[in-house]
Amino acid sequence: MSDFVPAAQISEAAQRLNRLRANMRVSIRGKDEVIDQVLVCLVAGGHLLIEDLPGVGKTTLAYSLARSMDCAFSRVQFTSDLLPGDVTGVAIYDETLKEFVFKKGPVFAHIVLADEINRATPKTQSALLEVMDRARVTVDGESHAVGSPFMVFATQNPVDFEGTFPLPESQMDRFLMRLRMGYPQPEDEREILRTAHGGYDAIALNPVVTRSEILALQALVPQVFVEDSVLEFILRIVTATRTDTEFRAGVSVRAGVALRTAAQARALLLNRDFVLPEDVVELVAPVFSHRLGLARQSSDALEERRAVTAALKRIVAAIPPPA
Amino acid sequence: MGMSTTAAPRPQLTLDELHHLKWVLGSLLTLVGLGAVFYLEVEAWTLTGVTAACTIATMLRPGLPARVPGFVHTLAFPLIVGFFIADVWRRGEVLPAIVRLDILLLLYRNITYRQRRDDLQLIVLGLFIIIVAGVLSVSPTFAVQLLVFAACALALLLVVTLADSLAGPAARAPLAPGAMPAWAKRADVAHLIGRLRAVLDWRVLVLGTVLFGGVVAVSALLFLAIPRFQLENSMFLERFIAKKAKTGFSDSIRFGDVTEIQQDTSIALSVDVSDHKHIPASPYWRMIVLDSYEGGVFRMSSRLKQRELMPERSGTTAGGAVRPRRGEAVYWTFYLESGVSRFLPLVGPFQTISFHEAQHFRVAPRLAMVALREEPVTMTAYRVEDFDLSGTVPDLRFAENWRARTEGAPPREEHQVALPLTAAEHAVVERAVAEATGGARPEAGEFARLAGEWLRRQHAYSLAPQIPAGEGDALVRWLASRGSGHCELFAGSLVLMAREAGFPARIVTGFRGGSWNGYSNNFTIRNSDAHAWTEIFDERSGAWLRADPLGSGASAADEVRGEAAVASRLDRSWKARLDSLRMLWYRRIVSFDQQAQAEALQAVKDVARSSGREVRERLEAVVAAIKGWLAAPWGWTRGLGVAGVVALAGAAVWLLGRFGPGLWRRLALRRGVRGEDPVRREAGRWLGRLGQAEPAPEHAEVRADLLRLRFGARASWAKPEAVFRRARQTVRTARPRGRVTRS
Repeated sequence: MSDFVPAAQISEAAQRLNRLRANMRVSIRGKDEVIDQVLVCLVAGGHLLIEDLPGVGKTTLAYSLARSMDCAFSRVQFTSDLLPGDVTGVAIYDETLKEFVFKKGPVFAHIVLADEINRATPKTQSALLEVMDRARVTVDGESHAVGSPFMVFATQNPVDFEGTFPLPESQMDRFLMRLRMGYPQPEDEREILRTAHGGYDAIALNPVVTRSEILALQALVPQVFVEDSVLEFILRIVTATRTDTEFRAGVSVRAGVALRTAAQARALLLNRDFVLPEDVVELVAPVFSHRLGLARQSSDALEERRAVTAALKRIVAAIPPPA
Repeated sequence: MGMSTTAAPRPQLTLDELHHLKWVLGSLLTLVGLGAVFYLEVEAWTLTGVTAACTIATMLRPGLPARVPGFVHTLAFPLIVGFFIADVWRRGEVLPAIVRLDILLLLYRNITYRQRRDDLQLIVLGLFIIIVAGVLSVSPTFAVQLLVFAACALALLLVVTLADSLAGPAARAPLAPGAMPAWAKRADVAHLIGRLRAVLDWRVLVLGTVLFGGVVAVSALLFLAIPRFQLENSMFLERFIAKKAKTGFSDSIRFGDVTEIQQDTSIALSVDVSDHKHIPASPYWRMIVLDSYEGGVFRMSSRLKQRELMPERSGTTAGGAVRPRRGEAVYWTFYLESGVSRFLPLVGPFQTISFHEAQHFRVAPRLAMVALREEPVTMTAYRVEDFDLSGTVPDLRFAENWRARTEGAPPREEHQVALPLTAAEHAVVERAVAEATGGARPEAGEFARLAGEWLRRQHAYSLAPQIPAGEGDALVRWLASRGSGHCELFAGSLVLMAREAGFPARIVTGFRGGSWNGYSNNFTIRNSDAHAWTEIFDERSGAWLRADPLGSGASAADEVRGEAAVASRLDRSWKARLDSLRMLWYRRIVSFDQQAQAEALQAVKDVARSSGREVRERLEAVVAAIKGWLAAPWGWTRGLGVAGVVALAGAAVWLLGRFGPGLWRRLALRRGVRGEDPVRREAGRWLGRLGQAEPAPEHAEVRADLLRLRFGARASWAKPEAVFRRARQTVRTARPRGRVTRS
């Protein structure tokens, strides 16, 4: 088989990711699992939706990732009066040049934190989502490439929905994963209380991998081998979401592909050149849960999230993994 | 997100699949149980049919029970109990009512989702029907059914236990009526079968089959070794079922009765013959003597019953009219199926009759008849010793009485002579006699022959008789006509003509002929062999002569006997093979002495001993040959030859070790039915085994290699054989998970 990746290449990739992980752990305490999932998302080339209360470290997470790999970081606070141009950039008339010059917006970075994305109007939201999809901004017929690698951290508050424009499900599909930060463990929080000062700008991290190394990692992911029975396993999970009566509708084809890619990325992270069923099992909830809605809609968003996760867990438990 | 060490285990059925399997097994069990109802003479055809249909439907569509309306569940038990009470009250038979109750419960259990308790109940319900049917029918299919049932029940119990251990006690909460359990929503029989195939390991199957076979073999040996006990009598089951006769044999028959039997080709009687020499070419199996003719009905007169039938006795043996004689005893063993008659078929006067089990019976030695008190509901076995096959029944007492009539005394045997007909009818019969004899007055035997020939000339034989319409005696009308008729009309007419001519005559009913089963070597007489013939009294010999107007015409004494007779009746058809099984079964369960049992045991012992001896002898022979070969003188050529052979063998071993596994893998790599790579499958198996062992750091490397074989790209594989070898060593030395060892 020609798609076999040399072991040295794999272990080198894993080493880079390990460095990245170790570096991020310095600033993010007690959230190893979240860091791993963020790395999976990064390597898989996907975007991340973080859903949690304010002040649990979402920005810190995005910033420390950007710092660790020597990437440009920008942060956009979404509000209801934010315009698409505020995100993507605008063409303005330059008096000296006598022509329109494209003024790049904050989206022209490698890691973009879109804070409280559901506070902006659908028009602004979709401007960002389009960039996420194509990694380009088109203004006045001119196309501008955003950074490479390019990764959007969108956040939203699951509790406070007052005056928000919830993302439609079709847009949700563009995020590879949805994560929750959650509160840290008491001992971690004690450590945070002792050491933390100021905002995220105070975070001093040295880059441990280069941008080109990240791009190489991303190029390696599709070469991670997925055995037929594992593909079949993914397919059965996807099909099960479509036949289960608890969901309004099953996941899309894109979701299945996303699960496979994420599983390949996780394998790489764990120094493997092939995917195991457990990679799939671990990633079903983060990759699928934001793409599914309950048939009986719940008024409480947190409640609904929990029900969806529980249903997914049940579905996966019912499907025997390949052995 | 540390890499957990739960490597892909062997595929296992999920809880839902176990539930589904449990459901299907329960349905199969029910169907096997229902199959046994067919052997019972219980009127439950509709109920059985409905239950079978519902069971099959719910087996294929497990979602159906959820659609049963709620009130059915609420009312089910009161209704079933009510049905049972009404059933017993209306029909007055307990056992059939219990069987119907059982079927009804089976039905209910199959249209509702079963809990563990209900599954156990299902087994008991099915077992009840099978045991009752087996005891009452004593058929070999009972053994087969019981075997199938046992296998099903064991599998069901296993699945119930597995499902229980998987679900834990929390899952035992009863299901709300109308709700569908989760497994039923996704149940698909084809998928289940596929999963079963994936999960079942052939080694487990072989082991299970061997174990089950062992249990069956031990049971069979026990069956051979323990003294027989009378199962049917010890359970008193027959008291509960009033069985209806399949045939029309009774002590009074009307025309038409016998012909009804002739449509039924089921076995009525099987006879084991101790000595082929005596077998007549056309045996007659006598059952009832009908002497009185009145109002178109032949019946056994009360006078004859009073005079000839001895008082009822209970026991296992009785004597007959034939005196004991010297020489080797000839005995025939009769196996009379249930529902034929309470009158036992016999070939003629006999010396002794002995029953397999104690019976209440009456013997009429001079009539060569034996009547049981009630019609048996199970197979009845009896053995008759030293009997008269000549076709004549000597009756000295009747002869004496008959001779006494000439001395002017009133006839004492009028019931065997009387002909209550009108004058016109007498004239018809008289004319027939005159035509048959041509005006002569022959002896009884000759008269019977002439009259029989005349009847055959006048009438054709047919199962659909043509009796002309009209007033008066139907038999006389037929005699006067030229219409066709069946055996009974012929026999009856011969009796009329004989009595008109002044000979005492009577009808005898029973069976004629039968086939010789070439597999089990016995007579098989079917209900369609039912026959009626005439016996006419010969004053000179003082005996009743058999006169069959439809017989061959040859007298009993001239017939071919022995092997030639057997050959003429030989049946080696497929059906005979099936019947032979029944016969073998009968021979096994019925023993008049312990001899046969001892012989069978001895035979088993002998086979075991002789095969052991044979093995030992062969081994000794081989050892001797090797010794001889070594002791023979050694020379150059011989040494070289041996060295060459050794070298060749060594080369072969080396080649096999070098290329064998690869070759084997290449052969095995052809994808199997499941489309799986055998190396991946094997790796999965070893991973499963390793997963059952207590995790240890030294396993990590083997596990990683196995995981690569199972899920990795083929180009990255290490040598599979080496990995499997190490896996085997690791699993062997590993401690099973969860076991605490003291060190």
